[in-house]
Amino acid sequence: MKITVRLFGRYKDITNKDTIQLNIGEGNTLGDVIDCFVKQYPATEKDKSRMMMSKNKLYASFDTTIIEGDEITLSPPVVSGG
Amino acid sequence: MSIDRYRRQTLVKELGQKGQELLATKHAIVIGGGGLGSHSANLLVRMGIGGIDIVDNDTVDITNLHRTSLFTQEDLGKSKAFVLQEKLRAINTEVRIRGINQKVTKENIESLVKNADVIVDGTDSMSLRFIINEVSIKYNIPWVYAGVYETVGMVMGILPKKTPCLQCISQNIPESTSGETPVLGSLPAIIASIQCTETIKLLLGKPLAGLLIYDVWKQCFDTMDIKRNPHCPICGIKKHSLARGRII
Repeated sequence: MKITVRLFGRYKDITNKDTIQLNIGEGNTLGDVIDCFVKQYPATEKDKSRMMMSKNKLYASFDTTIIEGDEITLSPPVVSGG
Repeated sequence: MSIDRYRRQTLVKELGQKGQELLATKHAIVIGGGGLGSHSANLLVRMGIGGIDIVDNDTVDITNLHRTSLFTQEDLGKSKAFVLQEKLRAINTEVRIRGINQKVTKENIESLVKNADVIVDGTDSMSLRFIINEVSIKYNIPWVYAGVYETVGMVMGILPKKTPCLQCISQNIPESTSGETPVLGSLPAIIASIQCTETIKLLLGKPLAGLLIYDVWKQCFDTMDIKRNPHCPICGIKKHSLARGRII
Protein backbone atom coordinates (compact mmCIF):
# COMPACT_ATOMS: atom_id res chain seq x y z
CA MET A 1 0.00 0.00 0.00
CA LYS A 2 1.06 3.61 -0.55
CA ILE A 3 1.36 5.87 2.44
CA THR A 4 2.05 9.57 2.68
CA VAL A 5 4.69 10.75 5.13
CA ARG A 6 5.01 14.37 6.21
CA LEU A 7 8.59 15.44 6.88
CA PHE A 8 10.05 17.94 9.33
CA GLY A 9 13.34 19.70 9.96
CA ARG A 10 16.32 18.69 7.85
CA TYR A 11 14.44 15.78 6.31
CA LYS A 12 12.68 18.31 4.11
CA ASP A 13 16.05 19.51 2.97
CA ILE A 14 17.46 16.03 2.42
CA THR A 15 14.47 14.95 0.35
CA ASN A 16 13.71 18.37 -1.07
CA LYS A 17 10.07 17.65 -0.26
CA ASP A 18 7.51 18.38 2.47
CA THR A 19 5.80 15.06 1.97
CA ILE A 20 6.81 11.81 0.35
CA GLN A 21 5.01 8.66 -0.64
CA LEU A 22 6.35 5.26 0.36
CA ASN A 23 5.30 1.81 -0.71
CA ILE A 24 4.97 -0.56 2.22
CA GLY A 25 3.25 -3.89 2.70
CA GLU A 26 -0.01 -4.57 4.53
CA GLY A 27 0.53 -5.00 8.26
CA ASN A 28 3.83 -3.15 8.21
CA THR A 29 4.94 -1.01 11.12
CA LEU A 30 6.44 2.41 11.67
CA GLY A 31 9.80 0.65 11.92
CA ASP A 32 9.27 -0.63 8.38
CA VAL A 33 8.42 2.91 7.27
CA ILE A 34 11.70 4.13 8.69
CA ASP A 35 13.63 1.27 7.04
CA CYS A 36 12.08 2.23 3.72
CA PHE A 37 12.77 5.95 4.27
CA VAL A 38 16.42 5.40 5.25
CA LYS A 39 16.95 3.11 2.27
CA GLN A 40 15.70 5.81 -0.08
CA TYR A 41 17.54 8.62 1.72
CA PRO A 42 20.78 7.21 3.18
CA ALA A 43 21.72 10.63 4.63
CA THR A 44 19.15 9.93 7.36
CA GLU A 45 20.82 6.66 8.39
CA LYS A 46 22.55 8.17 11.46
CA ASP A 47 19.13 9.07 12.95
CA LYS A 48 17.60 5.66 12.31
CA SER A 49 17.41 4.43 15.90
CA ARG A 50 16.29 7.80 17.34
CA MET A 51 13.99 9.18 14.65
CA MET A 52 10.79 10.73 15.97
CA MET A 53 7.68 9.47 14.32
CA SER A 54 4.02 10.05 14.81
CA LYS A 55 0.89 8.36 13.61
CA ASN A 56 -2.23 10.50 13.53
CA LYS A 57 -0.55 13.22 15.64
CA LEU A 58 0.45 10.76 18.33
CA TYR A 59 4.06 9.81 18.88
CA ALA A 60 4.38 6.12 18.35
CA SER A 61 6.89 3.31 18.70
CA PHE A 62 8.65 1.34 15.97
CA ASP A 63 6.27 -1.60 16.30
CA THR A 64 3.10 0.43 15.68
CA THR A 65 1.13 -1.03 12.78
CA ILE A 66 0.26 1.23 9.87
CA ILE A 67 -2.89 1.10 7.85
CA GLU A 68 -3.83 2.95 4.70
CA GLY A 69 -4.88 6.54 5.40
CA ASP A 70 -2.81 6.97 8.55
CA GLU A 71 -1.10 10.34 8.84
CA ILE A 72 2.60 9.68 9.39
CA THR A 73 5.26 12.22 10.27
CA LEU A 74 9.01 11.81 10.56
CA SER A 75 11.28 14.31 12.24
CA PRO A 76 14.89 14.37 13.43
CA PRO A 77 15.56 13.18 16.98
CA VAL A 78 14.99 15.44 19.98
CA VAL A 79 18.22 17.32 20.45
CA SER A 80 20.08 17.23 23.71
CA GLY A 81 22.63 20.03 23.78
CA GLY A 82 22.35 23.19 25.84
CA MET B 1 7.24 48.20 38.67
CA SER B 2 8.85 50.77 36.39
CA ILE B 3 6.40 51.79 33.69
CA ASP B 4 9.04 53.32 31.44
CA ARG B 5 11.18 50.19 31.40
CA TYR B 6 8.45 48.09 29.80
CA ARG B 7 6.57 50.81 27.90
CA ARG B 8 7.40 49.52 24.43
CA GLN B 9 6.63 45.96 25.46
CA THR B 10 3.25 46.74 27.00
CA LEU B 11 2.23 48.25 23.67
CA VAL B 12 2.30 44.74 22.27
CA LYS B 13 -1.30 43.60 22.32
CA GLU B 14 -0.41 39.98 23.04
CA LEU B 15 1.06 41.10 26.37
CA GLY B 16 -0.33 44.52 27.34
CA GLN B 17 -0.12 46.17 30.74
CA LYS B 18 -2.10 43.37 32.38
CA GLY B 19 0.24 40.73 31.03
CA GLN B 20 3.24 42.71 32.17
CA GLU B 21 1.83 43.00 35.67
CA LEU B 22 1.04 39.31 35.76
CA LEU B 23 4.55 38.45 34.58
CA ALA B 24 5.97 40.45 37.50
CA THR B 25 4.20 38.08 39.91
CA LYS B 26 5.82 34.95 38.44
CA HIS B 27 8.93 33.04 39.41
CA ALA B 28 11.03 30.96 37.03
CA ILE B 29 13.82 28.51 37.66
CA VAL B 30 16.39 28.05 34.91
CA ILE B 31 18.21 24.73 35.16
CA GLY B 32 21.56 25.14 33.42
CA GLY B 33 23.32 28.43 32.76
CA GLY B 34 25.08 27.69 29.47
CA GLY B 35 24.22 28.55 25.89
CA LEU B 36 20.47 28.25 26.29
CA GLY B 37 19.99 28.96 29.99
CA SER B 38 22.04 32.15 30.09
CA HIS B 39 20.23 33.61 27.09
CA SER B 40 16.80 32.62 28.38
CA ALA B 41 17.52 34.01 31.84
CA ASN B 42 18.77 37.23 30.29
CA LEU B 43 15.57 37.67 28.28
CA LEU B 44 13.25 36.77 31.14
CA VAL B 45 14.98 39.31 33.39
CA ARG B 46 14.90 42.03 30.76
CA MET B 47 11.25 41.32 29.92
CA GLY B 48 10.18 41.62 33.55
CA ILE B 49 9.72 38.24 35.20
CA GLY B 50 9.15 38.69 38.95
CA GLY B 51 11.89 36.38 40.14
CA ILE B 52 14.36 33.89 38.75
CA ASP B 53 16.71 31.23 40.07
CA ILE B 54 19.56 30.02 37.88
CA VAL B 55 21.03 26.68 38.89
CA ASP B 56 24.36 25.46 37.55
CA ASN B 57 27.37 23.92 39.26
CA ASP B 58 29.71 24.51 36.34
CA THR B 59 32.25 27.27 35.76
CA VAL B 60 32.63 29.49 32.73
CA ASP B 61 34.92 27.87 30.21
CA ILE B 62 36.54 29.26 27.08
CA THR B 63 34.40 26.84 25.04
CA ASN B 64 31.22 28.56 26.30
CA LEU B 65 32.04 31.97 24.86
CA HIS B 66 31.20 31.33 21.21
CA ARG B 67 27.52 30.72 21.95
CA THR B 68 26.80 32.95 24.95
CA SER B 69 26.53 36.71 25.23
CA LEU B 70 26.71 37.52 28.96
CA PHE B 71 29.99 35.74 29.77
CA THR B 72 33.32 37.38 28.98
CA GLN B 73 36.92 36.23 29.13
CA GLU B 74 37.18 37.83 32.57
CA ASP B 75 34.60 35.34 33.82
CA LEU B 76 36.62 32.24 32.92
CA GLY B 77 36.83 29.85 35.85
CA LYS B 78 34.04 31.58 37.80
CA SER B 79 30.74 29.98 38.75
CA LYS B 80 28.22 30.38 35.91
CA ALA B 81 25.37 30.77 38.39
CA PHE B 82 27.09 33.52 40.35
CA VAL B 83 28.31 35.38 37.26
CA LEU B 84 24.78 35.36 35.86
CA GLN B 85 23.37 36.51 39.18
CA GLU B 86 25.73 39.47 39.26
CA LYS B 87 25.26 40.46 35.62
CA LEU B 88 21.50 40.04 35.58
CA ARG B 89 21.12 42.06 38.78
CA ALA B 90 22.95 44.89 37.02
CA ILE B 91 20.43 44.67 34.16
CA ASN B 92 17.21 44.75 36.18
CA THR B 93 17.11 45.47 39.91
CA GLU B 94 13.34 44.98 39.96
CA VAL B 95 13.75 41.23 39.49
CA ARG B 96 14.62 38.89 42.35
CA ILE B 97 17.62 37.02 40.97
CA ARG B 98 19.42 34.16 42.65
CA GLY B 99 22.30 32.13 41.30
CA ILE B 100 22.55 28.66 42.81
CA ASN B 101 25.89 26.93 42.38
CA GLN B 102 24.59 23.41 42.70
CA LYS B 103 24.28 20.25 40.64
CA VAL B 104 20.65 19.35 39.99
CA THR B 105 19.88 15.74 40.89
CA LYS B 106 16.90 13.51 41.41
CA GLU B 107 17.41 14.01 45.14
CA ASN B 108 17.40 17.81 45.26
CA ILE B 109 15.23 18.83 42.32
CA GLU B 110 11.99 18.95 44.29
CA SER B 111 13.35 21.41 46.82
CA LEU B 112 14.79 23.55 44.03
CA VAL B 113 11.62 23.82 41.94
CA LYS B 114 8.94 23.84 44.64
CA ASN B 115 8.38 27.62 44.51
CA ALA B 116 8.65 28.00 40.76
CA ASP B 117 5.78 28.81 38.42
CA VAL B 118 7.78 27.48 35.50
CA ILE B 119 10.96 25.48 34.87
CA VAL B 120 13.16 26.61 32.00
CA ASP B 121 15.39 23.92 30.53
CA GLY B 122 18.97 25.04 29.98
CA THR B 123 20.59 21.69 30.59
CA ASP B 124 22.56 19.63 28.11
CA SER B 125 21.63 16.29 29.65
CA MET B 126 18.71 14.19 28.44
CA SER B 127 18.67 12.21 31.69
CA LEU B 128 18.25 15.44 33.67
CA ARG B 129 15.48 16.51 31.30
CA PHE B 130 13.59 13.34 32.10
CA ILE B 131 13.98 14.14 35.81
CA ILE B 132 12.64 17.66 35.16
CA ASN B 133 9.78 16.15 33.17
CA GLU B 134 8.83 13.78 35.97
CA VAL B 135 8.89 16.43 38.70
CA SER B 136 6.96 18.80 36.45
CA ILE B 137 4.16 16.29 36.00
CA LYS B 138 4.24 15.23 39.65
CA TYR B 139 3.87 18.76 41.02
CA ASN B 140 2.01 20.35 38.12
CA ILE B 141 4.74 22.84 37.30
CA PRO B 142 4.95 23.68 33.60
CA TRP B 143 8.32 23.57 31.89
CA VAL B 144 9.84 24.48 28.58
CA TYR B 145 12.18 21.99 26.94
CA ALA B 146 14.81 23.33 24.57
CA GLY B 147 17.78 21.66 22.93
CA VAL B 148 20.38 22.56 20.33
CA TYR B 149 22.56 20.40 18.10
CA GLU B 150 24.74 21.59 15.23
CA THR B 151 22.39 24.03 13.44
CA VAL B 152 19.07 22.66 14.71
CA GLY B 153 17.13 23.60 17.81
CA MET B 154 13.90 22.34 19.31
CA VAL B 155 11.54 23.91 21.82
CA MET B 156 8.41 22.55 23.43
CA GLY B 157 6.36 24.10 26.21
CA ILE B 158 4.87 21.45 28.47
CA LEU B 159 1.74 22.06 30.48
CA PRO B 160 1.33 19.02 32.74
CA LYS B 161 -1.60 16.76 31.88
CA LYS B 162 -2.72 19.22 29.20
CA THR B 163 -0.04 19.01 26.51
CA PRO B 164 2.37 16.20 25.57
CA CYS B 165 5.22 15.73 28.03
CA LEU B 166 8.80 14.92 27.04
CA GLN B 167 8.17 11.22 27.60
CA CYS B 168 5.18 11.34 25.23
CA ILE B 169 7.46 12.29 22.35
CA SER B 170 10.49 10.30 23.40
CA GLN B 171 10.25 6.78 22.19
CA ASN B 172 13.90 6.15 21.56
CA ILE B 173 16.17 8.84 22.89
CA PRO B 174 19.48 7.61 24.20
CA GLU B 175 21.89 9.89 26.04
CA SER B 176 24.22 11.71 23.69
CA THR B 177 27.22 9.51 22.99
CA SER B 178 29.77 12.18 22.24
CA GLY B 179 31.35 14.23 25.01
CA GLU B 180 30.99 17.54 23.22
CA THR B 181 27.83 18.55 21.39
CA PRO B 182 28.51 20.50 18.19
CA VAL B 183 26.62 23.83 18.26
CA LEU B 184 26.76 26.77 15.87
CA GLY B 185 27.33 29.91 17.93
CA SER B 186 24.32 31.78 16.56
CA LEU B 187 21.85 28.99 17.39
CA PRO B 188 21.35 29.14 21.19
CA ALA B 189 20.35 32.82 21.19
CA ILE B 190 17.54 32.25 18.73
CA ILE B 191 16.34 29.02 20.36
CA ALA B 192 16.45 30.68 23.79
CA SER B 193 14.41 33.54 22.37
CA ILE B 194 11.74 31.07 21.24
CA GLN B 195 11.98 29.27 24.57
CA CYS B 196 11.57 32.52 26.51
CA THR B 197 8.50 33.44 24.47
CA GLU B 198 6.90 30.05 25.09
CA THR B 199 7.75 30.44 28.79
CA ILE B 200 5.99 33.79 28.97
CA LYS B 201 2.98 32.42 27.08
CA LEU B 202 2.79 29.58 29.59
CA LEU B 203 2.94 32.01 32.50
CA LEU B 204 0.19 34.15 31.00
CA GLY B 205 -2.02 31.15 30.27
CA LYS B 206 -1.78 31.51 26.50
CA PRO B 207 -1.93 28.55 24.10
CA LEU B 208 1.40 26.95 23.23
CA ALA B 209 2.79 26.32 19.77
CA GLY B 210 3.55 22.59 20.10
CA LEU B 211 6.95 21.17 19.19
CA LEU B 212 9.02 23.76 17.35
CA ILE B 213 11.97 22.80 15.18
CA TYR B 214 14.28 25.45 13.78
CA ASP B 215 17.32 25.07 11.55
CA VAL B 216 19.32 28.28 11.70
CA TRP B 217 21.47 27.28 8.70
CA LYS B 218 18.64 26.34 6.38
CA GLN B 219 16.36 29.00 7.90
CA CYS B 220 13.70 26.36 8.12
CA PHE B 221 11.01 26.58 10.82
CA ASP B 222 8.49 23.85 11.61
CA THR B 223 5.82 23.42 14.22
CA MET B 224 4.40 20.01 14.96
CA ASP B 225 0.90 19.63 16.30
CA ILE B 226 1.02 16.57 18.52
CA LYS B 227 -1.22 14.91 21.07
CA ARG B 228 -0.54 13.47 24.49
CA ASN B 229 0.21 9.79 24.61
CA PRO B 230 -2.61 8.27 26.69
CA HIS B 231 -0.28 5.41 27.60
CA CYS B 232 2.61 7.65 28.61
CA PRO B 233 4.16 6.17 31.77
CA ILE B 234 4.77 9.67 33.15
CA CYS B 235 1.73 11.80 32.30
CA GLY B 236 -0.76 9.27 30.97
CA ILE B 237 -1.76 7.73 34.28
CA LYS B 238 -2.85 9.51 37.44
CA LYS B 239 -0.09 8.19 39.59
CA HIS B 240 0.96 11.31 41.47
CA SER B 241 -1.52 12.54 44.04
CA LEU B 242 0.48 15.05 46.07
CA ALA B 243 -0.86 18.57 45.81
CA ARG B 244 1.38 21.30 44.44
CA GLY B 245 3.48 22.91 47.14
CA ARG B 246 3.26 19.94 49.47
CA ILE B 247 6.54 18.40 48.56
CA ILE B 248 7.76 15.95 51.13
